[in-house]
Amino acid sequence: MATITLPDISLAEYGLENLPLLKKLRDRNFAAQAEVCIERARHVTRYLEKESSSDDPMEIRYAGAVNSFLTNKEAFFFDDNVLAGTTTSKYYGAPVYPELTGLTIWPELDTMSSREKNPQKISPQEAEELNLEIFPYWMERNILERTRTEFDNPPGMKLFERIVFFIASKAGTISHTVPCYRLALEKGVEFIISEAARHAGEIQAKGNLTVDDTAQLSFYQAVQTALKGIVAYAGNLSKKARELAQNEQDPDRRRNLLAMAEVCAQVPAKPARTFREAVNAIWLLQVGIHAENINMAISPGRLDQILYPYYLQDLANGSLSLKDALEVIGCLWLKLNDNTNLVPETAEELFGGAGTVPAVTVGGIDGNGEDAVNDLTYLMLKVTELLRLRDPSVNARYHYEKNSAAYRDRVAEVVASTKAVPAFYNDVVAIRTLENQGISTDHARDYAIIGCVELSASGRSYDASSSIMLNMVSALELALYNGKRPVTGDEQIGPETGDPATFTSFAQFWEAFKTQLGWVIEHAVQLNEMMGRIHQESLPTPLLSALFEGPMDKGKDLIFGGALYNSSGATHIGFADTVDSLNAIEKAVFIDKKYTFAQILQALKGDFSGDDPLHLYLLNKTPKYGTDAPIARKNARNLIQFLYETYQSHVNYRGGRYRPAYWTMTNHAGQGKLAGALPNGRKANRLLASGITPVSQAAGDLAACLNAVGEINPLHIPGGEAFNLKYPAIENPDDLQKFSQAIEAYFRCGGLHIQFNILSYETLMDAKQHPENYPHLLVRVSGYSAYFKDLNDAMKEEIITRTAYDIRSGKAVPFPDAERSMLPFE
Amino acid sequence: MSDNFIFEKVLKRFIDCMESELAEDFLKILLELMGVVLFLDSDYRKNIIGFKGRYQFRSSDDAITVAAVFDNDELCVNEEVIEKPNIAVTFKDGKALMNYLLSPKPDVLGSMLRQEVRLEGNLNYLYRFAYMAKRLQLMATGAV
Repeated sequence: MATITLPDISLAEYGLENLPLLKKLRDRNFAAQAEVCIERARHVTRYLEKESSSDDPMEIRYAGAVNSFLTNKEAFFFDDNVLAGTTTSKYYGAPVYPELTGLTIWPELDTMSSREKNPQKISPQEAEELNLEIFPYWMERNILERTRTEFDNPPGMKLFERIVFFIASKAGTISHTVPCYRLALEKGVEFIISEAARHAGEIQAKGNLTVDDTAQLSFYQAVQTALKGIVAYAGNLSKKARELAQNEQDPDRRRNLLAMAEVCAQVPAKPARTFREAVNAIWLLQVGIHAENINMAISPGRLDQILYPYYLQDLANGSLSLKDALEVIGCLWLKLNDNTNLVPETAEELFGGAGTVPAVTVGGIDGNGEDAVNDLTYLMLKVTELLRLRDPSVNARYHYEKNSAAYRDRVAEVVASTKAVPAFYNDVVAIRTLENQGISTDHARDYAIIGCVELSASGRSYDASSSIMLNMVSALELALYNGKRPVTGDEQIGPETGDPATFTSFAQFWEAFKTQLGWVIEHAVQLNEMMGRIHQESLPTPLLSALFEGPMDKGKDLIFGGALYNSSGATHIGFADTVDSLNAIEKAVFIDKKYTFAQILQALKGDFSGDDPLHLYLLNKTPKYGTDAPIARKNARNLIQFLYETYQSHVNYRGGRYRPAYWTMTNHAGQGKLAGALPNGRKANRLLASGITPVSQAAGDLAACLNAVGEINPLHIPGGEAFNLKYPAIENPDDLQKFSQAIEAYFRCGGLHIQFNILSYETLMDAKQHPENYPHLLVRVSGYSAYFKDLNDAMKEEIITRTAYDIRSGKAVPFPDAERSMLPFE
Repeated sequence: MSDNFIFEKVLKRFIDCMESELAEDFLKILLELMGVVLFLDSDYRKNIIGFKGRYQFRSSDDAITVAAVFDNDELCVNEEVIEKPNIAVTFKDGKALMNYLLSPKPDVLGSMLRQEVRLEGNLNYLYRFAYMAKRLQLMATGAV
């Protein structure tokens, strides 16, 4: 149990004005324009094509490619950040991963530098290299195409490529995880290399090797090769820093370069001796992981716990001041923003504005079940408050029986101050949920967040939490139209479950819906399994595996099930709209018998035009998720339970179960554009609600809303959820108390997660109209943070239309009449 | 190359087509221009050196059926159905295909809603083709 020694946990005396380095670096970060970096793609492609033999095991070849890149990776020192190492060769780089998503930018190589939305610069020479040398090599070799070829273009692939049913991509999957940096900090990467060598030696000493022995041997050899790449890169950084220092005239800069030279000569190869070395080691390990795995949500985990011993030691021996510590943490936060996803313009519609979402988790309890909040927790909160950056995605764990109210209040204060971060997690519920998945209690207590909102036993569980993003509304429409969807026309997509106009009970429709939903899930899971097999054959992860508990003991890569625990995550889009549509059908057709199913279907096909009474009835007289309505609560509960049981019945290619989740990134806006009118009154091609959040403007009472979301069985949401809540303002200490206490009340109701935007309708609408006045306005989307200006228009409108609650009255603030056309049911 | 009258003629038709409302002949003119530029422009020809790719284009009403085959560093276009294309592109009309390939701000969701373009096969082949088509567009407008 940690002791709080800070006299003021809000560290009020520190601001950017007395942390000038952070201010300078932050200003430059905000001013930077993304540039495409092809350095990794160049080295990895060249190595695989020309410098390795296809006869070698892929584990060995891929490790060699990673080593080749890291060894040859140029050492850059772009600014005065005190941490050495860069993800890319650009100040703010978008690395190309041709084995996964890289080829999607091929059509835009000549135009992406100047596109209107979030341009990513690329030089003509680099574009030509991608076009003529790099991309052609990967045309038949990336995961998607290998899966298509080897499984003869399976039905799941065809369904996936329609985009409107589910998205399954190994791209996000591989990196949606939390490695364990403790061992590398305590003993150094060279120790892990020597352990791998020892294991390899033991296997070789056996003589006649079995197939398993050979696979293990390849794994241990690959671990050594890949990790040596990180050591080489750190060595190159050290050498370059020393060279630059020799010619540097500015004494501060020279001192910093020499310090970095010393740090990189030590870590991550050898144990970290100081706080700065430990932080820089973590950063270099992140860079190393990205040499092997795509930059999508690799999450550093519980940094306030991992780094605490180094902080305490340096503080005690007088080598570190609070200001120094704040500066080093701030530098890490800024380094985590040195790269972004490579995004083709077409994907902006579905994913626009997202960062790379490396999640940092603070607070909560320790392995013994005691309060783990420490001084470093508060320093990290302070840096988050000061910098207000898109990344890292900061998540605060809160255990209402163990953590102090002062801690809860401080996190709430940071949310109110930044308007968006951190997100809050309920330790009591999260730990129980993980235990229910077979995670041991001490490992569950050490959970951290992956990417958006997913729960993970840090460094022990390989969760691939972004394996499937499934559009639940697609199944609803398939049930409404007997296996067809408006967006796919007259094509019979799903099974024929009957014309709902002939149904005589709600139970019949519920069964039809479950059949369609189960059918979509089966295809998504099947495709994910196929991609998983191809992933095993073509993209091993020895470097990442070496930073987990399990693979080094088993001699097995993470993607073969080497971790202590395994799972695959499936998240869902359109939960609230689906529940409300089920409610509407049950009430209107089968309870009130106000309208026939045929009348509702007719109205849906006409997008409610000319059917105002029916539309108004559906909107105003049918039960809504997020209220006290028993029907809504029942349907929400049943749907969550059905999904839980369906997914948990599947065991993935690594031996773990599928875990349902409810976070949507920006997909609820994009998928909403592709869905027809729904029985809850939402009109065609309009927004869907985010995450597990009730439909915008449907739940008018805050207490009822918190109760309704909080009472959903969290054990059935092992993958995590995103519950978005909006308050127009937190203006004074009383407001702050109410805000903080409401979080606790929600958690005591059983809520798992909650995140906020503290912004009024008016402010958000003004920011949409005048983005130049809000260049860095931070908002919480559905699991991650974004700068509001970077979002596409649909996503901006979704955030604007979310219900805003007055913290004093607990009632929804009326949505401005002049802007009602923005609402999905208008 | 710009003084070549064949190129100038096809280029003009391509520009006219891009500016027209219907763009009915878009695919035909695009492939014609691609063939001419591949023949005349050694830089552009680099795009297909050693490349083997079989493309099947069809309009939804089956009025247009075109195969574009890249092989032996050449483009061969025929109005026929070919076996085992790397990618099959079915499009509603010329305008839809043009928007899909060349729009500076592609409305992918809108095009899906309108069911304008359907793809089957290896998308990387389409990405490569779209790059080449877009390059022609930029050449036609003087941007490169």
